[in-house]
Amino acid sequence: MPIIQTPRPVLTRRRLLQLSGLSGMGLLLGSCASTSIAEQVGATIDPLNQRVEELLLNPQALVPEFPVSAIEPEALLINSFDTTPNLDRTTFRLIVDGDVAQPLSLSLAEIQSMPLTSMVIRHVCVEGWAAIVQWGGVSLGELIRRAQPKSTVRYAYFESADGYYESWDLASTLHPQTMLAYQKNGQPLPIENGAPLRLAAPIKLGYKQSKWVTRVTLLSQLPSKLGYWEDFGYEWFAGL
Amino acid sequence: MTISQPAKLPKKAVVPKQAIFAKAFHWVNIISLLLMMSSGLQIYNANPVFGGREGWHFPKGLLLGGWLAGGRDWHFTFMWVYSLNLLAYGLFILISRRWQQRYVSSSDLKALQVSQNAKRKTYAWHRVVYTAIIPILLLAIASGLAMYKPAQLPWLASLFGSWQTLRTVHFITVPIVLGFTLIHSLLAFRVGSMRLIRSIFVR
Repeated sequence: MPIIQTPRPVLTRRRLLQLSGLSGMGLLLGSCASTSIAEQVGATIDPLNQRVEELLLNPQALVPEFPVSAIEPEALLINSFDTTPNLDRTTFRLIVDGDVAQPLSLSLAEIQSMPLTSMVIRHVCVEGWAAIVQWGGVSLGELIRRAQPKSTVRYAYFESADGYYESWDLASTLHPQTMLAYQKNGQPLPIENGAPLRLAAPIKLGYKQSKWVTRVTLLSQLPSKLGYWEDFGYEWFAGL
Repeated sequence: MTISQPAKLPKKAVVPKQAIFAKAFHWVNIISLLLMMSSGLQIYNANPVFGGREGWHFPKGLLLGGWLAGGRDWHFTFMWVYSLNLLAYGLFILISRRWQQRYVSSSDLKALQVSQNAKRKTYAWHRVVYTAIIPILLLAIASGLAMYKPAQLPWLASLFGSWQTLRTVHFITVPIVLGFTLIHSLLAFRVGSMRLIRSIFVR
C-alpha cells in the first residue's frame, strides 16, 4: 500500500504517446547513449556500404590526377595520434613479410633504387578537409609482388614506428596509385608527414594512410586489430 | 459531352485526400532529413566548412552520434533511407503522371503575373515553392556523393570545382531545406489551413 498519496496524473493515451515519442527522440538525439546507438547503426549498415565501396573500387583504373599548379601546400594539415618518431635513415629497414614466399628486408637506398612513381592527387581527411598534394615513392604493388604473396593473401597489415597500425584490402594495396612515399610536393618527405616512408593513395581516406611505415605483413585473414582508429569505431574500408 | 456539376459541397469542409505514397514520402523524408542534418552537423564540427578548426562550431545539443565516427555511422546509414525515399517518390509521380498536374505549370506562372485572385496567387506560390525544393533535395545527394566517393566519381566531384565549393554547396542545402520547410508549411496553411497540413501526415 502506498504511503504517500500523490494526485493521480491525468494521462490520456494520446498524451502518453506524445510523451513517449518526445522522450524517445530525446534519448536518441542526446549524446549520452548516442555513441553506442551510433555504433549499432553503423554495424548494421557497414556490410552493405562496404560491398558498395568494393564494387565502386576499380582496382586497376587510375584516378584522374591534378596539374602540379593545383597543389595546395598549406591545405595538408598534420594529424598524428601520438608522437612523431625520428627514425635513423641509415639503419632503417622496411620489412615485407607474412604469407609470402620471399620475405623482404629493404634499406632506404634499396627502396629508392626502385622505379619512382609520382602522382598529384587529392588527399581527403575523414574530418572533411582535403588537400591536393604530390606524392613520390615506390609502388606498393611492386614491393608486394617482389615478396611473392601466396594465393590466399587477402589483406595487408601496416605497422608504424609510432605504434599506429592499419589493415587494408589487397585490391586497394595493389592499386597502381598506392605507394610508399618518400617525396612530398617535389621535396624529400618531411618527418611530420611520415618520413622516411608513408602510405599514400587517392582511393582511401587519410587515416588509412599510415606514416612512418616499418612493416607490411600480408595476411590471408583479417586481423583482430583492424586499425588504430577503426578499433575506436571508424569505418574499416574507408574507400574514396 | 456534358460536364457534370459537382454535387453541392457540404458546409463542413472536405478533408483533402492524399495518396498514401505522398504521406509516406513526407514522413520518411522529415525523419531521415532530421537525422541527416544532425549527423551532418556532427561531421561539420570535426572541421568546420567555414574557418576550419578555428571556425565556429555547432552546439552539442544539435549533434547526433556522440563523435565524428558516430555521426558518420548515422549519416551513411540514413543516406540510403533519404535517397531511396526520394527515388520511390520520384517513380510514383512519374508513373502516376502527377508531374503533369501537381507541379508548377505555365498557368501558375501566368497567375502570378496577371491574376487578381489572391487565393489563386497563393496557390501558385505554393506550387512554385514545393516544385523548387526538388532540385535542392537532389543537389544534397549529388554533392554528398561527390564528397563521399571523389576518387571513383571524379566527374561528379569536378562539377563543383574546388573541394571548398563542394563542401559549401553540400552544407548550404541544410539552411535551404529548413527555410523551405517553414515557407512550404506557411503556404500550405494559407492554401488549405490545418486541414491540408494534417491531410499529408495523418488522413
